[in-house]
Amino acid sequence: MRKKGFLIVGLLIVLVVAVAATLVLTEPSFAGKLEEAIAKTPQGVGKGMIDPSAKPGFMGIPGAPTHFWLFYILWGIWVGWIFSSVGAFGGIMAGVGHITVFGLADYGRTFKSTSPPLNKLLTDSIRVCNQYLVGLSAFISSLTYYRMGRLVLPLGLCLAGGGIAGAYLIPLLTAGKINLSMYVGYFGIIVFAVAFVLFYETTPQGQARKKEARAAAQAFEAAHIKKAASGVDVHARGVRVTRMGLTKVSFTFYGVEFSFNPVWPVLGGFIISAISAFIGVGGGFLYVPFLTSVAGLPMFIVAGTSALAVLVSMITSIFTYMFVKSVPVDFVLIFTELIGIAIGSVLGPLTSKYIPELWLKRLFVVLAVYVGIGYLTKGFLGYSVMPGM
Amino acid sequence: MEMHPVFLFLDPYLIWLYRLTGQALADFLIGTLALAFMALIIGEITISLAFLVVRKRIDQATAEAAKYQRLSMEALVEGDKLAYKAANKLANDAFGKSFFMQISLSAAFLWPAFFALAWMSHRFADIELPLPYGHHSLGYIGVFILLFVAAYFLFKGIKYKLPHFRRIKQILDGYPGRTKERNSFADLAPERKKPGGT
Repeated sequence: MRKKGFLIVGLLIVLVVAVAATLVLTEPSFAGKLEEAIAKTPQGVGKGMIDPSAKPGFMGIPGAPTHFWLFYILWGIWVGWIFSSVGAFGGIMAGVGHITVFGLADYGRTFKSTSPPLNKLLTDSIRVCNQYLVGLSAFISSLTYYRMGRLVLPLGLCLAGGGIAGAYLIPLLTAGKINLSMYVGYFGIIVFAVAFVLFYETTPQGQARKKEARAAAQAFEAAHIKKAASGVDVHARGVRVTRMGLTKVSFTFYGVEFSFNPVWPVLGGFIISAISAFIGVGGGFLYVPFLTSVAGLPMFIVAGTSALAVLVSMITSIFTYMFVKSVPVDFVLIFTELIGIAIGSVLGPLTSKYIPELWLKRLFVVLAVYVGIGYLTKGFLGYSVMPGM
Repeated sequence: MEMHPVFLFLDPYLIWLYRLTGQALADFLIGTLALAFMALIIGEITISLAFLVVRKRIDQATAEAAKYQRLSMEALVEGDKLAYKAANKLANDAFGKSFFMQISLSAAFLWPAFFALAWMSHRFADIELPLPYGHHSLGYIGVFILLFVAAYFLFKGIKYKLPHFRRIKQILDGYPGRTKERNSFADLAPERKKPGGT
């Protein structure tokens, strides 16, 4: 009971410090910030200028790109379809939509020398739009898995602690400082990482690993059907923390003891949430492979525990961007894309049975390499070697 | 900022929610709460309908994850590390598929909230509610988020009394591996010894 009390008090202290720090660092409202950046931008019809009489586009900026609302929905359908068919690549496509398809990055880059504050504000806005679109949905779905899974509270708190630090520090340190070219370049690096993972899964080696795992699982099932689990004391099936220390935390699950060094989940939580906050995609899906590969934990525990980390880091990141750094967001863009993603989420499962997953992944590898090279070169060389990027 | 034609059409109806008492602060809070409720209910309906359409596929992915999860636990209890790792890997893959399907489905819950925020950005962009004991203030987004969360918990109390949502809950409760017990701080309590035990 004393440990429970310390934990509750510790959580409350962290929350109070976070709220106090947020209030101390709060900046003027984002409507003001955008108006200020627009006011500092030269007026005119040339590149890098704002024509006040032009039709308002993205975020209400006169002359900014604007498209027929159906295009946002169609792109959202594509993103939702990918999410529900293949998975991770959907987040990348959401970012590609904001950066390239809707022309927001090219528009923002025109202000690189004429209005750096507007250039950086647009970068941050694209990041937050990505997060709202992808990360918020991951947060909602994580609530489902929280109910399904089991929570190892010390593990969840370590992940969440690292996650808060990453989700808070990255917007704090980078909002208003990253220009679009740099952001596009880093986005390209993440796209390459996803392409690498997808590619590995389509290779004979990647496929063989999955086949081996399936054969081993089936062999075990045939030999030991339901015998072991039914023999476990019901009381032992829950998660029970047996030891809590600075270098080792142990718990039992199904009567078997697991342990981990708290440093790893704190570090992992920080890195994953920092990537998510910086790029605007990723995060939710990275916690699970991290916990199972690095810590070797059962999926059942990982699902519930990582949900807590996603919940905390998403709230922190969006809160910091919106209220501490006052980054403006185009809600019209987001809600139309979300309608599309919802439609895509229904189409994906209905169509996936007609398209082999392997060939889908191969297609996305090609797409990812194309986008990755395009963004890397555009970001760090100033021009894209791939047409259309 | 110019209003989109959809917002122009809905504006007279939505703004009516903000003119009920004549007191500015009360009207803003009541109107935003009503808007939050509408966004919440529409979101709950659209996600539940989308779920019913793709339920079979989600069932398959969830059942596969639960099957390999159970297998991995049995292997663990038996001490078969290889089988545990194999089953755990397959459980993860199945979980990943299910997770991403749910991510895209979550958009069906969120879009009305962003629709509401988009309308509010036209009407209330300059609103600042001063907070006590300091010089900070809350804009329309902060107020909407807080009231949306409040609406969520208020609606939760009556949600499952409605036939449509009761049916959804029955379906979800039938999923293998879905725990009915809440994860709680009680998991941290030391194991209690049985009476007469050592």
